[in-house]
Formats: sequence, C-alpha cells, structure tokens
Amino acid sequence: MARTRTRKYVPLPAAALALTLAATACTGGGGGGDADTLTVWIMQGTNPDESGFFDEANAAFTEETGIEVDVEFVPWDGAQEKISTAIAGGTTPDVIELGNTFVPGFADSGALHDLSGYGVDTSLYVPGLMDMGAVNEGVHGVPWYASIRSMVYRTDVFEEHDLEVPETWDELRETALAIEEAEPDMIALPVPGDAQYSVMPWIWGGGAEIAVQGADGTWVSEVDTPEARAGIEFFTGLALEDDTSTTGAVNWNEIKIMESFSEGDAAMALLGSANPKAIVENNPELEGALGSFPIPGRESGTYTPSFAGGSLLSVFEGTGNEEAAWSYVEHLTSEENMMLWAEQTGFFPGLLSGVDTFTASADPVLEAYAIQLNEASKGVPTAPAWSQVEAEQVLVGMQQAILNGTSVEEATTKAADDIERILNGG
Amino acid sequence: MGTPVGQAVDGHGARQHRRAPTGPPGRGRRASALGLRRRRALLPWVLLAPALAVIAALLLFPLARIVWLSFREYRLRNLVSGESEFIGLANYVSLFTDSYLWRIALPNTVVFAAVAVVATVVLGTLVALLLSRLRPVTRVVVVSCVMVAWAMPAVSGTYVWLWIFDVDDGIVAQALMRLGVIGPEGYNWFADRLFFYAIVTLNVVHGGFPFVAVTVLAGLLTVPRELHEAALIDGAGAWKRFWHVTFPVLRPVFAVVTILSTIWDFKVFAQVYLMPGGGVGGSEMLNLGVWTYVSSFGQRDYGTGSAIAVVLTLLLLGVTAIYLRALFREDELR
Repeated sequence: MARTRTRKYVPLPAAALALTLAATACTGGGGGGDADTLTVWIMQGTNPDESGFFDEANAAFTEETGIEVDVEFVPWDGAQEKISTAIAGGTTPDVIELGNTFVPGFADSGALHDLSGYGVDTSLYVPGLMDMGAVNEGVHGVPWYASIRSMVYRTDVFEEHDLEVPETWDELRETALAIEEAEPDMIALPVPGDAQYSVMPWIWGGGAEIAVQGADGTWVSEVDTPEARAGIEFFTGLALEDDTSTTGAVNWNEIKIMESFSEGDAAMALLGSANPKAIVENNPELEGALGSFPIPGRESGTYTPSFAGGSLLSVFEGTGNEEAAWSYVEHLTSEENMMLWAEQTGFFPGLLSGVDTFTASADPVLEAYAIQLNEASKGVPTAPAWSQVEAEQVLVGMQQAILNGTSVEEATTKAADDIERILNGG
Repeated sequence: MGTPVGQAVDGHGARQHRRAPTGPPGRGRRASALGLRRRRALLPWVLLAPALAVIAALLLFPLARIVWLSFREYRLRNLVSGESEFIGLANYVSLFTDSYLWRIALPNTVVFAAVAVVATVVLGTLVALLLSRLRPVTRVVVVSCVMVAWAMPAVSGTYVWLWIFDVDDGIVAQALMRLGVIGPEGYNWFADRLFFYAIVTLNVVHGGFPFVAVTVLAGLLTVPRELHEAALIDGAGAWKRFWHVTFPVLRPVFAVVTILSTIWDFKVFAQVYLMPGGGVGGSEMLNLGVWTYVSSFGQRDYGTGSAIAVVLTLLLLGVTAIYLRALFREDELR
C-alpha cells in the first residue's frame, strides 16, 4: 500500500528559512572586460559637463589604437564603496580616475597595477599628487589634474553693499555678518556638515595638523589640540552663533553648496576650482558676478591652507587589459589632452609645466586659486590607511556632531581617537 | 524535428497496446504500478530541481559564503588577494561586546520594525475595510491610487520624503515655520533619532501598506456574508463583528502579511541609508542592515560586516519561527 506523502505540518525551521529566503531574495550581477574595449570610470559631481571632452579624446584614441573606450561616470558620493564592490565582484574597470586620497589605500591593497615598468617620469608631475601615487616603491597612478578649494563670492553683492574682500578671520566673520544683515534671504557663508575638505582648512589655519607621524612611526592626531579646536570653533561658530549659514547645511556636501551658490542663495562659499565654471553653466545669470579670494589667514598677511586635491589615473590589476589601459592613461595625461581638460573644467593640470601656462591663460576667476595652490595648500597625511579615515567619514561625523550641538571638545576628542586608531592600524 | 518524436511516441504506444493483452495481467500491473510510484515520488523533485538550482546558486551559496566570511579576518587586501585567515569567533566577540550594537543598531532595528509592522498592518487593514465597502468602480479607482504608492521604488520614494522634510525648503518645515511652531532658523530633524525614524516609518509604512490592503481585501471578499448577517442580527457592532467574525476567518492572511512585513521592516536599507546621516559610520541612525553595509563596504571590514549580517539573519529566523509557531498553535486549538 502506498503511503501518503502529505504532511500535516511544515517543519518549523524549514518554513522559517524558506520564508526568509523568499523575502530576502536578491539578484546578482556580472560583467568583465574584453580586449577590444576599455572600460573607464570617471568621477562625477562637482565638475562641469565632461562628456564633450571624452567624445573627442576617445575618438582620437580609437583612431590611433583601434580600441574602443567606454567611459562610465561615477558620482564622487559613495565612490569608494562602489570601487570596493567592484573589486569584490570582479567587475572593476580597466582605467579609473581616483581621488588622490584614495590611491594609497587601494594601491596598498594590491588592487592597482604598478606602472613603474612603463617608464613614468615622476618628476614631471605636481609633487603633492605624485606622492600619493608612489606607494610601496611603485607608481600606482599618474597625476591627471589638481583641484584646490578657495573662497568664491558674489561680486555684485559685495559691490552693492560696499564690502571689501576679507583678509583675516575676523574680517571674514564681519563680512558674513554684514551680508546676513543686508541680504537676510541669502546664505552669507554656508557651513556644510557633509564636506570634510571644508573643515580641514580651519584645522590647519588654527595651526594644527590632522595627524603627524612620530619618530617611531606612530601617528598622533592634532585635531583635539587647542589650535585645531580654535579653527573648528571659528568655522562652526559662523553657523551656530553668527547664523551666517542655514540649519539644513548640516546635511550638505560640496555638490549641495555649489547648487545653493548656483541658485543664487549663497553669497560666499568655499568651492573647488572647477565650480565657478559649473555654476555659470547651471545659471548663466551669474556670468561675470563671480569672484574669488584665497581663504584668509587668522592674522592679516597670511592665508589659511586649503586642501589640495586632485585625481590620478590608475590601472586596475588583473583585468587582462593592463597594457591597453596604460596606453589610454598615457593618452589622457599627454600634455595636449591635459591642457584641454584643464581649460574645459577649470582644474589645474597635473603636469608641473602645465600649471603656470594654465594659470597665465585662465579665467580671472581662478586667480585666487593659483595663489591658494602655490602658497597655501596642504594634503592629507600620507598614510595608506588615510582613505579608511575618509571611508569611515570621521571628519564628517565630527563636523555634523558639532553642528548638531555636540561640544567641539567632545567631537574633536572622538575624531582624534578615531584617526589615531585607524592610522595606527587598530 | 517534430516527425521523429511523434513516430517514437506512436511506436511506444503501439508496443504497449500489443503487450497489454498478451502478458500476465497481475505482473504487468504491479510492475507498471511500481514504476509509476517511483516516478510519482521522483516527479516533485524533478519539478523542483530548476527552482532549487536557482535558489542554491543565488541564495544558498552567498548565504554560506557570508557565514564563512564571518569567521575570517577579511579586509580590502584579502578581497584583492583572495587569501584570508580563520579567526574563529573573534568577529562575533567584538560585535557582541560593541556597545554600538546594544545601544544603537539593535534598538533601531527592533523598535523600528515593531512600530512599522503594527502601523503597516493596521493602516493596511483599515484601507482594506474601506475598499470592501466601496462599489466596484470606486474600488478600482482607489486600488489604483493605492498601487501607485506600492509601485514607487524605494529610492525614489525616499527622495520624495527627503524633499518633503527638507530642513530649509521642505513643505513641512515651511508649514511649521508659517505656523510659528519652529523658528525661522528651522530644525534639523535628521539629527534627532526619534524624528529620523519617524520619517523612515512614514516612508516604509507608505510603501508597505498597499500590499497589506490588497491581500486583506482579497481575504475579506471570501468571508461569507451570512456570518456577518448572523452577527448583525445578534446585535454585534462593527467592532465586535470585525474581531469575532472577520478576524478569525482571516487569521492566516494576517499571519502572512505580518510575517512578510516583519521581514521587510527588519531589513530596511535604502530608506535609512539614503537619509542624511543614515550612511555615516558611527552615527546613531544606523540599523543592522545599513550597519552591515557600512562595515563591509564603507569601513572595508568584510568579516565584521558578515558577522552582523549573520546575526540579522538569525534574528529574522527567530522572529519568523515565533510567528509561525503562534500561527500553528492557533490552528491546533481550532
């Protein structure tokens, strides 16, 4: 006699598992490279429209080598996570634009192809960028462009209210207060929470370093020193005490600052050198109404150092297309293409010889940027683990905490502890 | 191609026909019955095989891999090289001794899920009751409207809520400023854990209630009208009729929507991650799902990230098991 196979109950764990699986179902993705096409990731966010440049540069490259180039634009926001995900899934592109602070971390992990075998002359490039690519006695990226942040202001607003370009912190504060009073609907100077490069200058300007390496190799963070606290307190005080910013700016990143400037809301802002062009692109009414000045120093006659960022072009290891990828990097970093890129975006070229040429011919709006780059710029600590500090958003967390009401003492102490833990390999 | 197959089938059929009358009747019947039984036993598995293969490839393998990862020291370097070190329970020990789990991530996950599930099921049921009383044409119109909320992708939906609650220009902020509830300087609700999760709850309930409404409506339409009429004649009010007639009949439906909502609300990701502060490591807004992602892909500590994911899965299994047990116990009682 056949036994009935019907069950009166479903086993509990099996049912639970099945339900969980059904509800958490997800799909996988795939991808990869082939020899005839190179995949290139270019960062996107605060730059002006780049597609025109790539159409031309890629057509020239394809004509020369017969290799097609597929450029994909990746937003800066969350870029590190996307790159890690691509490494995990084996879907990395062949060539990637990496922010200079990203390079040491990815190079140290072995993800990037060593380009030193191709005869890269490292002395030709802007040293602050080149240093970040020269990790573990190799060359893991070629400087493409330098970007620096400086103060941009609305010349029409300044003229209307007889304001002078500020030259000290106190003057900056007074100017912001004056704008706040004269133009109550404008944001005199946004103090963003989600933009770490807007915080760093004030740490440096106060007279501290983010972290210094001792003789024994241990990193010590100076973010919790009185000097750094004075700087951070000045900057956040503009929002918290003087109300020259806006409450929502706690959640703003650099893109949002640029947008508020484009919309005509902000009167002054700390912006990258590619931003003025993008702002005019967004809002042509602001043509001719933009000016720039280097971040004033605490005392008159000095400047507050700004973060010198920029990008390198790197080649991923293990794609099978490393050589073709290198020839594309060589193509983009040729003097001709680099100058063209600089002209079209407002970034400074990564080639030393190009910086002066570019400065001489550039838009007068960028004058202050050249001063800032040459006289008052700084990089982040050159530890491979630094990108981890950025990935964990230590400085963003600190800045947001302060703007949300945590005391500067408490927030800076925590940030300094976190930075030391990460840089010292905790 | 069609012809040879047809021939083969014909030939086979013909042979069977020929053999049936000549062979010993008893043996032939037993043999074919045995074959049939074996085939019957095999058939479900054959039919399940493609689904099982897909589940194994897409779910079981990643699941096993995550468990495996959770016992290893696995960082970016290991990701690139593929080599890693077994470290036993170290990831779990550091996870369970991390006050962040107990103070922030676990309460955020559990309390939020509890509130969101109750709100989703209650709202969904109320909408279903409303729908069941509407005329067919009106019902189609209302169901279509409800479906729009359901069809909205989580990411777009979240951005809409972000605009609504924008700190400076959002409609809520503007309205409250006009009413004088908050000052012209505004208020950053994204920095307040309670407000933050209130917005997440609104978002999640808004996206989740249509499923409950439609499912419960389907159930409501099966409740025999006579039961309601009998209860009405006995003098039961709407409240009593719901609890004593509708609810008992629909208990399995409620069990299913509650379990599914629970699972969805426990593993909410986009609705938290996309909010300001929702993706920042160390902020007090993360839930277990986002924490998994931030640990793995933000902090590139894939071992710890996997350990959190395993804990979240076990938590879900536990909650689901309790629900199912409750459901089957009710069934036994009846």
